[in-house]
Amino acid sequence: MSIAPGDMPQVTSWTVGASQPAAVSSRVLAGNESLELRCPFAKELQPEAQVTSTRFDGSLASAISLPITAPKLKVLSYSFGVTGAWRNQLPKTPAEASQLPALTPPSAPNDEAAAKARTRIQPPGEVIKLADRLFYVLQPSLEAMIGDSALQFPAHPFPYQFEGIAFLYPRYSAILADEMGLGKTMQAITSIRLLLHAGEVERVLLVCPKPLVTNWQREFAHWAPELPVTAIEGDAARRRWQWQQTDMPVKIANYEALARDREVIGDLGLEFDLVVLDEAQRIKNRSSATSQSVRGLSRKRSWALTGTPVENSPQDLVGIFEFLAPGYLKDEMKPRKMGRAVADYVLRRTKDKVLTDLPPKMFRDAEIELSPAQRISYELAEKEGVVQLTQMGDEVTIQHVFELVLRLKQICNFDPATGDSAKFERLAADLDEVAASGRKALVFSQWVDSLETMAGKLKHLHPLLYHGGIAPKHRDDILDEFKRDKKRNVLLLSYGAGGVGLNLQFSEYVFLFDRWWNPAVEDQAVNRAHRIGAAGPVTVTRFIATGTIEQRIDQILREKREIFDSIFSDVEPTGKSGLTQSEIFGLFKLRTPNGPIEVAA
Amino acid sequence: MTRAEGTTPGHLGFLTVLEHEQLGLVGGYLILNAAGRPLEFHCTAPVKPNRAQQILFGPTLPAYLYGEQIGQTLLGKGSQPPVAVFTDVERVLTVRDFVELPVALVMPAETAEGEQPKPFVATGSSWRVDAPNHPGSHLAQFVAGRNRLVVSSSRSGDRDAILSRLEEIAAFDLAEPFERIREAVEEAHKGGRVDQAA
Repeated sequence: MSIAPGDMPQVTSWTVGASQPAAVSSRVLAGNESLELRCPFAKELQPEAQVTSTRFDGSLASAISLPITAPKLKVLSYSFGVTGAWRNQLPKTPAEASQLPALTPPSAPNDEAAAKARTRIQPPGEVIKLADRLFYVLQPSLEAMIGDSALQFPAHPFPYQFEGIAFLYPRYSAILADEMGLGKTMQAITSIRLLLHAGEVERVLLVCPKPLVTNWQREFAHWAPELPVTAIEGDAARRRWQWQQTDMPVKIANYEALARDREVIGDLGLEFDLVVLDEAQRIKNRSSATSQSVRGLSRKRSWALTGTPVENSPQDLVGIFEFLAPGYLKDEMKPRKMGRAVADYVLRRTKDKVLTDLPPKMFRDAEIELSPAQRISYELAEKEGVVQLTQMGDEVTIQHVFELVLRLKQICNFDPATGDSAKFERLAADLDEVAASGRKALVFSQWVDSLETMAGKLKHLHPLLYHGGIAPKHRDDILDEFKRDKKRNVLLLSYGAGGVGLNLQFSEYVFLFDRWWNPAVEDQAVNRAHRIGAAGPVTVTRFIATGTIEQRIDQILREKREIFDSIFSDVEPTGKSGLTQSEIFGLFKLRTPNGPIEVAA
Repeated sequence: MTRAEGTTPGHLGFLTVLEHEQLGLVGGYLILNAAGRPLEFHCTAPVKPNRAQQILFGPTLPAYLYGEQIGQTLLGKGSQPPVAVFTDVERVLTVRDFVELPVALVMPAETAEGEQPKPFVATGSSWRVDAPNHPGSHLAQFVAGRNRLVVSSSRSGDRDAILSRLEEIAAFDLAEPFERIREAVEEAHKGGRVDQAA
């Protein structure tokens, strides 16, 4: 069809897009006829907008315009935190970072896959606000954070340690329950460090047993050298001043000092962004002053570190959770239900699962027949003791039973009448062999008397002693001497002083001269040697005097392990779940008296 | 229009647009500091063009949505202008028409070990016909540290601007933050906030 120039319809507006005219064309209709119009600057485009004419007689055509508006787009916006003032100590550019004193070169993983791994922080269910959740989602991978030139790391963490840091970092309530020797200290320090650098926390309190304060200071200096750290110690006036220090983002206090300074902390109105409890099983007893003092701290985040969240019974875990999330767990919960309830709060890894390269740990039970003199003393003491307990009738308590157990165990170590010890004869022979091969051995006992007796009999091996009677200021020197001096092959330790926090991975032999009440404490002791850095297999010898109370206790210890497994694994408990009152009395075939008896730890 | 004045040294911007099957397009913009820590995050409500837009914009629609509507809006929300904006979506490069910031496309890293870099070929027919991306516009590829980047050849100044900041970005894996944006958008979507904003 042809159209005369005068017939050209006039389209008065082109409204396409928000800001610029676009290339469009239009098809003009006249009755059954149409005319296609094109914009001269976009000949190749073929949009299909239609202009409808009511008539086509040479006059102006009516037109319908289609405004294409761009509605204002809604946007969610979030801004994130700033870092603490002390952060200014850090270098701001890579060039500045390169001027830092060199630390131990990082030991990058050889595995290429591990080198490319990216461990991302996932917000836990307890973080509700979207802004908070996004903050964690948007963090770089931990590997990238560690690679930040401003943060020097003395060594490259293991992949499972990255996972541990990613677990702790976003949590307000958490238990890191890794088996001893997997580096809970490093994971906690690195998490604290990253949170401080991100400005997420500014005031951190770490609470630990007194003998471990210097260890924590040392570890902070190693893993986070730029962080100002102070230990709360000294007389009351000094401690008060230390509590008030505002330029120290990390404070370390021991449990006893914390309990002593409870009122001071309240008076000063101290508030913490994060409180971390090391060896958190210390607060399993909810009525203890220790538990009450830590629960009284004003804080935003609560973390607990322990390799043994359940030592004796599931109620131990309830006690720890009273610090983390009061009321969340109930005493009457069944272990499996409790296990499900804590799943998002507890991270538990074992060496056999994550450290496949760690040298093996080999156990051997040395079942020893008592010497004739020991046997006479033992049977006499047991007979008299049982008679006494029986005569006490309903007056007998657990403490009475424990006293008898301890007396019998001491006889199993050394006969009080003659000094005989079948166990020691075997130990001495083993230690001679250890020393001859240039190896080092740890010997654990629960009695200082037994340790000192052994030290006297082992003088030719130049043993060192480490127990609660040794002044804390000398303890590090003893450990250092044991590590460095090739003539010092034997370290005699008490479970109490030597069972936690020590790094003795250069030792290849561990002897448990007598057995502790719960397997967790024994595990702690063994893991002084069997931990990251262990050069070779660790051989653990457990002495058990046959036909004695030690053998009966050993059976109970095996059963107690099942409690732990029932909470922290999917395995259905198969046997009895703890040291019951009846079992304790059953050690001597005694009848359980009427009325409640509190089971001691 | 977002301007280059007042850019914050070491701050980098990451802009992407995600295609959601049901919701449509969702834009995400992340500003990081030199250490890779998040400073700001902005995400749009889903954008779904209506029929009229589809008809009238024709093939220019994607460029309009990605660059002008989503990209420009998001960059305008940032309060700490970065030294450069990076994207992993080619269409987002059109945002450069509306901002005075260098904008570069981050090419994906080679996946197979030993594989030779493939020559980059601009694909699709989504380039706007108006200036500056007129027909015939092509892209310029260059390497900045560990990253392969692309800018519009008509914006050669962007390449120079980015290379002048090489010290700040050389060690940075510029492809990585987009993974964070995707997770953040997903998180916001799970929380229902993106849908509510719509």
